[in-house]
Amino acid sequence: MEKMQLQLQIDGRIIEAAEGQTILEAARANGIFIPTLCFLERAEEPRQPCLMCLVEIDGMGRTRACKTPVQNGMVVQSRTKELEQFRKERLQALASVHYGDCRAPCNLTCPGGINVQGYVNLIAKGEYEAAWRLIRERNPLPVSVGRVCPRFCETRCRRVLVDEPIGINNLKRFVGDYALEHGFKDDLPEKETGRRVAVIGGGPAGLSCAYYLRKKGHEVVIFDANERLGGALRYWIPGYKLPKKQLDREIQGILKLGIHVKRGQRWGDAFNLQSLKEQGFEAFFIATGLSKQKSLDVEGAELAWDGLQFLRQANEHSVAFVQEIQAKKRILVIGGGDVAVDVARSARRLGAESVTVIYPRSRVEMSAQQRDVQEAEKEGVQFFLMAAPLKIHGDEGSGAVKVEMARTILSEPDEKGIRQPVPMPGSRLFWNGDLVISALGQEGDATFKSYGAIEAAIAVTSKNTIKSNPSTMATNVPGVFAGGDVASGSRSVIQAVAAGRRAADSIHELLVREIGQTASDGRFNFSKGKRFEEVDLHNFDGASLQLSETMPARSPERRIHDFDEAELGLSEEMARREAERCLQCGCLGLSKCSFRELAVSYRVDTNKAPTRLVRKIQKDHPFILVDANKCVGCSRCERSCRYNALKLELSFNPETQMLEGSSITLTESCVSCGACVDACPTGALSKKGLAVPLFPEEVQKVSSVCTYCGTGCSVDVVVNNKAILEMRADKTLPPNWGELCVKGRFGYTFYRHADRLTVPLVRDSLDEPFRETDWVEAIGLVASRFERLIQDHGPNSVGILSSSRCTNEENYLLQKLARAAWLTNNVDNCARV
Amino acid sequence: MICGSNTTEAHPIVGLKVKEAFKRGKRFIVIDPRRTEVAAMAESQKDGIWLRIKPGSNIPVLNAILHTIFEEGLENREFLEARVENVEAVRQHVLDYSPERVSETAGVPAELIRRAARAYAMAENAMILYGLGVTEHKGGTAGVMALANLVLATGHVGRPYNGINPLRGQNNVQGACDMGTLPYVLPGYLHTDDAEVLNALAKVWQVARLSSSPGLFEPQMYDAALKGDFKGLYVVGYDPAHTQGDIGKVQRALKSLNFLVVQDLFLTQTAKLAHVVLPAACFYEKDGTFTSGERRVRRVTKAVPPPGQAKADWEIVCLIAQAMGYDMCYSHPKEIMDEIAQVTPIYGGISYERMGQTGQIWPCPTKDHPGTPLLHTERFPIGKGRMQCVSYIMPEEEPDRDYPLALITGRRLEHYNNGSQTRRCQGFDRLSNMEVLEINPVDAQRLSVTDGEIVSVESRRGAVKARVSVTERSRPGTVFMAFHFEDSLVNLLTSYGLDPKTLTPEYKICAVRITK
Repeated sequence: MEKMQLQLQIDGRIIEAAEGQTILEAARANGIFIPTLCFLERAEEPRQPCLMCLVEIDGMGRTRACKTPVQNGMVVQSRTKELEQFRKERLQALASVHYGDCRAPCNLTCPGGINVQGYVNLIAKGEYEAAWRLIRERNPLPVSVGRVCPRFCETRCRRVLVDEPIGINNLKRFVGDYALEHGFKDDLPEKETGRRVAVIGGGPAGLSCAYYLRKKGHEVVIFDANERLGGALRYWIPGYKLPKKQLDREIQGILKLGIHVKRGQRWGDAFNLQSLKEQGFEAFFIATGLSKQKSLDVEGAELAWDGLQFLRQANEHSVAFVQEIQAKKRILVIGGGDVAVDVARSARRLGAESVTVIYPRSRVEMSAQQRDVQEAEKEGVQFFLMAAPLKIHGDEGSGAVKVEMARTILSEPDEKGIRQPVPMPGSRLFWNGDLVISALGQEGDATFKSYGAIEAAIAVTSKNTIKSNPSTMATNVPGVFAGGDVASGSRSVIQAVAAGRRAADSIHELLVREIGQTASDGRFNFSKGKRFEEVDLHNFDGASLQLSETMPARSPERRIHDFDEAELGLSEEMARREAERCLQCGCLGLSKCSFRELAVSYRVDTNKAPTRLVRKIQKDHPFILVDANKCVGCSRCERSCRYNALKLELSFNPETQMLEGSSITLTESCVSCGACVDACPTGALSKKGLAVPLFPEEVQKVSSVCTYCGTGCSVDVVVNNKAILEMRADKTLPPNWGELCVKGRFGYTFYRHADRLTVPLVRDSLDEPFRETDWVEAIGLVASRFERLIQDHGPNSVGILSSSRCTNEENYLLQKLARAAWLTNNVDNCARV
Repeated sequence: MICGSNTTEAHPIVGLKVKEAFKRGKRFIVIDPRRTEVAAMAESQKDGIWLRIKPGSNIPVLNAILHTIFEEGLENREFLEARVENVEAVRQHVLDYSPERVSETAGVPAELIRRAARAYAMAENAMILYGLGVTEHKGGTAGVMALANLVLATGHVGRPYNGINPLRGQNNVQGACDMGTLPYVLPGYLHTDDAEVLNALAKVWQVARLSSSPGLFEPQMYDAALKGDFKGLYVVGYDPAHTQGDIGKVQRALKSLNFLVVQDLFLTQTAKLAHVVLPAACFYEKDGTFTSGERRVRRVTKAVPPPGQAKADWEIVCLIAQAMGYDMCYSHPKEIMDEIAQVTPIYGGISYERMGQTGQIWPCPTKDHPGTPLLHTERFPIGKGRMQCVSYIMPEEEPDRDYPLALITGRRLEHYNNGSQTRRCQGFDRLSNMEVLEINPVDAQRLSVTDGEIVSVESRRGAVKARVSVTERSRPGTVFMAFHFEDSLVNLLTSYGLDPKTLTPEYKICAVRITK
């Protein structure tokens, strides 16, 4: 019998509903969102209702939408100011007992926004391709960045509170190199948009922008003044840090997507923005970097070589240059940034016997990476700190130079509160040597403004860098974007990469008028402490010490004789071990956390969250992590358990009825079906095997059927970057209506087990070992041997055994092969087991 | 009525439905030597019935239930009159199987059998679930017929909440059989000796003729191989050297082959005996359909790419066929399903377009047919149902002086078949990492074995190691093991007995002894 259709009004909308439906069900069926935390289909009442779904009904007052059946003519308000305020207060109260990190500190710190915890844990599972793809979503240059990154992430790694931070960048490099070795390929753009974009400058920012634009199907041309792409990565960063061969392969991988390159085309000489516009380019990304060295402000500065030029020549390694340098035995480098240290280390490799870096402040104030400073010292570079050059004298005859120097002290704080180094009164020293190199780093350069009318209109900062919006990279001129050092001033490679990606997003939006998917608010974050000292050390109780894997490196004595790479990269085993050290700070329940979604939309203040761990995090279940510190008291776990295997204790404030604390225990009756995990709307229960914390919109669900027993349960295979993250089941699909058993929910990880057969194996007799071969040989052998047997002994001398592992289509083809091609009915299957 | 099915472990989701029924107070009849979870449910009910039979005595017990139904006039006369044949002969036949006579053979009290008969026959709705505990006996087919007789006698069929449900052990055995990977039937269970059908198929498959002579069943292939008549075998996704009964013989037969090709995910026991091993995609890595035990045909969807050079089974089969000069070429499994629908009447209306998320239930003969979730509502496929005279078939091997215990083999929740998948999944080794021997406390005490001890379990055919679990789950005199572990190949022990019709091995009973 058809159920009677009723009409009611929710928030002013008239909707139809069936008799017996609740307001919540009717609202959902009509696309009206009423928030709830504790509602669970086909389950008993919660211990203490969450009251999120309270609605106002004319003539009835407030009632729970999940409990109240619809009535004809009912008028429902779900969004009144009072209700919304009430919900916000309840959520705020829950937030005050919710202790955890939504996303990991490493992830939040990375300027590139890379899902660090995700790729580290994919490496731990041996899912290298998925790890590579996850990195590539945000950084197309892992091979390069994995060698030169200042490692913002590692400075925030909480493992330091146990022993040492995870060697994240070494892991990134491992994956990048592994991908090159194994030929991992990007997916080609799905469709061509026919829109043209010009990228000026083929350094990290330009390459990154080109890569992400091309992935969206736009036609991209990179214009570069040099003959080869890479920018700073190629011309400034020395080969002992980043071998040019690896760089070439990485760039090739990006260009393979179908990106055009115009080499040796200098902006202002070969083209300007107007001429590009006339060629049909609709948007521009300026990423030329900075190539002007900060000038040295001392007498005789003209005698000093330019550090950037020096690095470029060292990279190009011409015979003339090498010979010229070999005559310079004693070199003084002025500066304290990466350029200075790179110059000094390169100088040692070019044969200089004594290399001294002079810097007017202390060691910790040097802007160079401290690890590079240490390596430089191991290579014999000397650091003369708290000293500054005053004057450079040259001797034209001998070519020798003399530098007059002073020790420095710090002045009284200036108006900005900064203490500047000044020469110590009366201090005077002399350095005698063969060459002085000024390596003070780059500065802005606005000469581009003379290249044309459009260029002239581009606004620059007081430092002569291009003014661009840091989140969209847009300049003041519509259609013109700028990023990387040319806009930000000298920064790290990963920051340039991030700028390129952001520009690509904005340009894509501009070209197709398509706003990118509204992602979960990435800034909203529960945190166990932004600074290390805020983090409760009980979080690490029971963590055993395991130091970081040391990056294998060539000895300093050996490596100063060439420009070959100094660090050799982690082996696969080392990488796995290192990745397994990750403490997984970010929440593995992120993709199912409806509490977070509500907290975001009701602007809950996460600063009121607790700062101390109350319940020990239980890790002893084979598949499930239990962290009651994140519990919001909805009791969905308990109510979804069909085996009476979950003990939930909740305590509520007697006055406010708000949750004060909870404890969750999985008992011995647990059969590991995992229903509780999928029911939990937070990360209080999460899946150990999940590996990657992702927002709900970042995962892809593939609807399929379970591979185990004959019940044929529906499963959703949850996938990201071609790796399976977890199995779920849809509550609306038969025959299991959301339920799964331990095999269905957790028995999928075999698919990437190291024992998987990946190549055909053949041998002549059982006494021999197998030999790996290709499909051509294997299929040829199978066909010819069966052909011979049929010829010599008749069709009934051969047969086929098929199985339940095969689909219907495969079973059909197997019997067809036997019957139609082999002319025998000798075909059977495994149905007897 | 649940007969020979450890539902909550072997079919956990069906098990949940059973638990739900239990919670709602539905009356349970369980026929099983083991105190499985469902047996314990029946035992705990005030009016529940658990027939803890001796292994191998399904048929006499089922016949005794039928005997009681007739004797006490509990049969559904109206239904018998309208829809069933051969009733009289069967009524006469089961006269010999009074509960009192069967009681000793089966090891259960006569009164309990009578109560079971009354409970089943008098219920308004009654459903039978059966598992491999019925079929994996020498009298497997006969056992199923004995169950079917009960259904026919009571008319518990063709209506919701009634009927008889075989619980299929593996995900797509239903589909494999539907597709005709059987030596005696073609796709859709059409017979290989039907000339008209063969001619039609030959046309679609573009061959001059097809063989009408029956093919070899799997166990017959092994016999023929040992005799030297059968030379070459292509095995896909199946590990008989691990999971067949009496695998000592199977392994000898496989080794004697001239050429063995195995296509699988891992180097299984069978693959280790092969000349060529082909790497296959697993089910997350390919497209196609599976058919479940409720005849529901559903889409399997590719979620991730296969590793290395591995390919989907259908692609490999096509390559082999082409290399042998037969034109087998498809660009997607969807095209194969279209061909299946063309030649398989029960799948005639099945297509990827119509299937949707919930699938289609066969018989679904035409493009506008809604599918058939409920069978036998008006008539049976052969018209009237035909009751069968079923006689007790003794097991091949029963406990004796030398091998005094009956071994039952079966499945555990945490593992699947040869374990090649589940043993390689994270976390599962923590749940179950070694073969376990379940033994009743009485036997344990007599043999002075203790919980957790490692013992050797021996039959006339082999010996394997297992860890002892002393438990009331086992019937005194019987022990239980699964077969999921490579280092304890339990099927080295199992009987060489076979069901004469299906040639299904007698996994459910053989005689063993335990040594330390």
